Amino acid sequence: MTAVRPVLEVADLSISFGGLKAVDQVSFAVERNRVTTVIGPNGAGKSTLFNLISGALAPHRGHVLLEGRDVTGAPPYRMQAAGLARSFQITSLFFELSVAENLRLAAQVLEPRVKLGLPVGSSAKARTRVQELLSQFKLDEKAGQIVGELSHGDQRRLEIAVALASKPKILLLDEPTQGMSHADTADTAALVRSLSNDVTILLIEHDIGLVMDLSDTIVVMHQGRKIAEGAPHAVRADQAVQTAYFGHA
Amino acid sequence: MRDAITLQTRAGHWLVALLVLGGLVFAVVGFATGDTFYLRLATEALIFGGLALSVDILLGYTGLLSLGQALYFGLGAYVSALALIAWQSFWAAIGASLAAALVCGLAGGLIANRVRGVYFALITFGMAQVLAKAVYNTRALGASDGLIGVPVLDINLGLFSVSSASPVGFFLFVLAVTVLFYVLAAYLLDTPFGRLLIALKANENRVLFIGYRTSTLRLGSYLVAAVIATLSGALYPMLRGFASPELLFFSTSGNAVITVILGGVGTLVGALYGSVLLTIVKSVVGSWTEHHLIVIGLIFMAVVVLLPKGLMGLVQPALVSVLGRGSRR
Amino acid sequence: MLDYLQFVLTPQIVTGLALGVAVILVALGLTIIFGLLDVINMSHGEFYALGAFIALALGQVGLPFWALLFAVPILMLPIGYLVERGLIQRVFHSKDRHITTLLLTFGFALVLEDALRLVFGPNPYKPETPIRGAVEVLGTYLPLYRLFMVAIGGLVIVGTALIVYRTRLGAMVRAAAFDRNMAASLGVPVERVYAGAFAFGVALAGLAGVLLAPIYSVFPTMGRDFILLAFTVIIVGGMGSIGGAVIAGLFLTQVQAISSLYISPVWADPIVFGIMVIMLVVRPQGLRGGLGHA
Repeated sequence: MTAVRPVLEVADLSISFGGLKAVDQVSFAVERNRVTTVIGPNGAGKSTLFNLISGALAPHRGHVLLEGRDVTGAPPYRMQAAGLARSFQITSLFFELSVAENLRLAAQVLEPRVKLGLPVGSSAKARTRVQELLSQFKLDEKAGQIVGELSHGDQRRLEIAVALASKPKILLLDEPTQGMSHADTADTAALVRSLSNDVTILLIEHDIGLVMDLSDTIVVMHQGRKIAEGAPHAVRADQAVQTAYFGHA
Repeated sequence: MRDAITLQTRAGHWLVALLVLGGLVFAVVGFATGDTFYLRLATEALIFGGLALSVDILLGYTGLLSLGQALYFGLGAYVSALALIAWQSFWAAIGASLAAALVCGLAGGLIANRVRGVYFALITFGMAQVLAKAVYNTRALGASDGLIGVPVLDINLGLFSVSSASPVGFFLFVLAVTVLFYVLAAYLLDTPFGRLLIALKANENRVLFIGYRTSTLRLGSYLVAAVIATLSGALYPMLRGFASPELLFFSTSGNAVITVILGGVGTLVGALYGSVLLTIVKSVVGSWTEHHLIVIGLIFMAVVVLLPKGLMGLVQPALVSVLGRGSRR
Repeated sequence: MLDYLQFVLTPQIVTGLALGVAVILVALGLTIIFGLLDVINMSHGEFYALGAFIALALGQVGLPFWALLFAVPILMLPIGYLVERGLIQRVFHSKDRHITTLLLTFGFALVLEDALRLVFGPNPYKPETPIRGAVEVLGTYLPLYRLFMVAIGGLVIVGTALIVYRTRLGAMVRAAAFDRNMAASLGVPVERVYAGAFAFGVALAGLAGVLLAPIYSVFPTMGRDFILLAFTVIIVGGMGSIGGAVIAGLFLTQVQAISSLYISPVWADPIVFGIMVIMLVVRPQGLRGGLGHA
């Protein structure tokens, strides 16, 4: 009778830019500890959808519910406080700072606010979290390195780690494998899979093979609208998806 | 955990200790030779060093260029002068200045932080200019003459008291206060709050997404800078006996920016060394030509192009590597 | 009432208009340089002063006023070009271009101002008004020289707008302002366009110096106060917007003129700056969009 409430619900979400309906009446739900992936051709509105959910943009219509709480249009730092964190398609880190410092900054929200004004060393929880993340993401060796000097693959991994640092309930990953080599992509897939034990994941991904392996649910977007939703095999068979996304395969 | 930022801060502490040592030697020599002029000049350099420190908090840490920090320096000078004339009390002057700093800093911060980048530079410039012109035209504040006749002051520090008329005594007092400003700023900038300011400069958008309201952080930084600038300004009439509208003018703000760039932006201690350096250059060059601005302008341009980290960019990396080696052992 | 209009208000408005045209010339240069290069030229006021001093020097060797109107801007062109190529380009690609270029031009302003003081001394010169007399229009006497300023300045402003919006050269400038890389790939010589635009902006400031010299006298720090007004104009008008600079220039100088009359001349500046601060708070992008967005 008491079905578990989805972590994230999106209802009728819409925004348009000068007449162009970038996201148009999109609704779906993300179940706890599942990997839900949004796919769609370029310009389908996937990134805009992420921006709406994470508070970077305020929707013109519709709602975003986090664990049943209406957070529509809340600014990103509020979303973060409500348990939603995100990574970016174009790596967005503190490039002049060290790996550990990037993680520490993001983990600081685990501490009470008053610690903002106390010496960095007194934030023990944040420090522990940094160590956890460094080993989880195999960045131990590079903790002291300046982020700008890391390889692309490491930067992309850190991008996820920074988002994860605050122990969010739901993690939005915007093309985590963007620009990665094959080997790195496979590693990242395994990483995302392992993360999904502890955190609900909403993903944007281009690599279809990866998506099929990784996802519990797939949401397909085309020209701002959701055209299909379901388990990977069901979506793969969907006629509308075939024409819109896979061409005439 | 000793990371790069902590090491850099430590290098700064050593350099400040060196500055204090130099200051003490200077005070002894000044006292022995019965000098007044140079002690007064050095006191002034330290006071303006405090102003430059506040510019560095904004520019070097938060990435905000203020072209109107003189607003707060002048505010402090005028409020302090008024309080000193009325009550002849150091603590009353400081209290009144602090209150003014908080009120005006909050108001100014709310206005200035609505914009970013060059607009921030121009709005701070504009706000300072409005106040400067207003003060310049206000008879009650002495108009273009400024407030004169600030009495000589005995600063009661509990255990002992210092007279603002004593060249050595007041120099040492201002040295202590300046170091206090430095300690306060260095402490704050090494807390998670300060680290977030550095993060803000590196990537403001991501700070928003890791859970912080960036406008509040910027306002906090602005307020800290306003308080330090105001309190530095509050010392000025104690030294010179007056507060003049020039203290609010762009040349004062511009000098503070030059000081920070010369000394090394984003180092805090650079602001203090920069102020000493600028004072020396001005008086040395000024002794053989009245056109010291050409020299200062050329030096300034050369530093902007060739030495983006200023004087400290030459000194600090070496010190950091020594300290780094020391801590690894 | 009519007397008041005739003898007080109208002349004040015309004076404001003449000043407005000169401010717009200075502001146009600033706004073109910002719109195109993304550089706040803090030395613009000193270039204005330089123009006035060059006019003064050439006038003393006997060049007539009408020749100065051409000679000064033409002499300023290579100076501006060299400053852009030799200084600004050096830090143009640094990470923090806005701040670095602002600081560099600020340093240059110090040097230029002190150099003028070195050569010409600190005291003001007052060149003779080249066109004396006044005309009577509907019972109001208007000084001829102010009317002449409005005419010449207006002509140059319109000419500038025509160049930017109606010529092939202007199209290249706007393309470079809109997207540097795209313009470069289309064969626009971006670097030369940048230097050229800087030179042009500086030349406009020089022309304003020539025109205002007989009214305000010529002294090394003459650029300081004037540049404040020009900055106010481009902020209120919208940084990088030509139309905005014209509208804001006319508006703010009228505010200045009228408030001098009704409130007090000493409060005219704070009022104008107050408008700028309010504008930055309410509408930071100013009245109009930038150069790349016609």
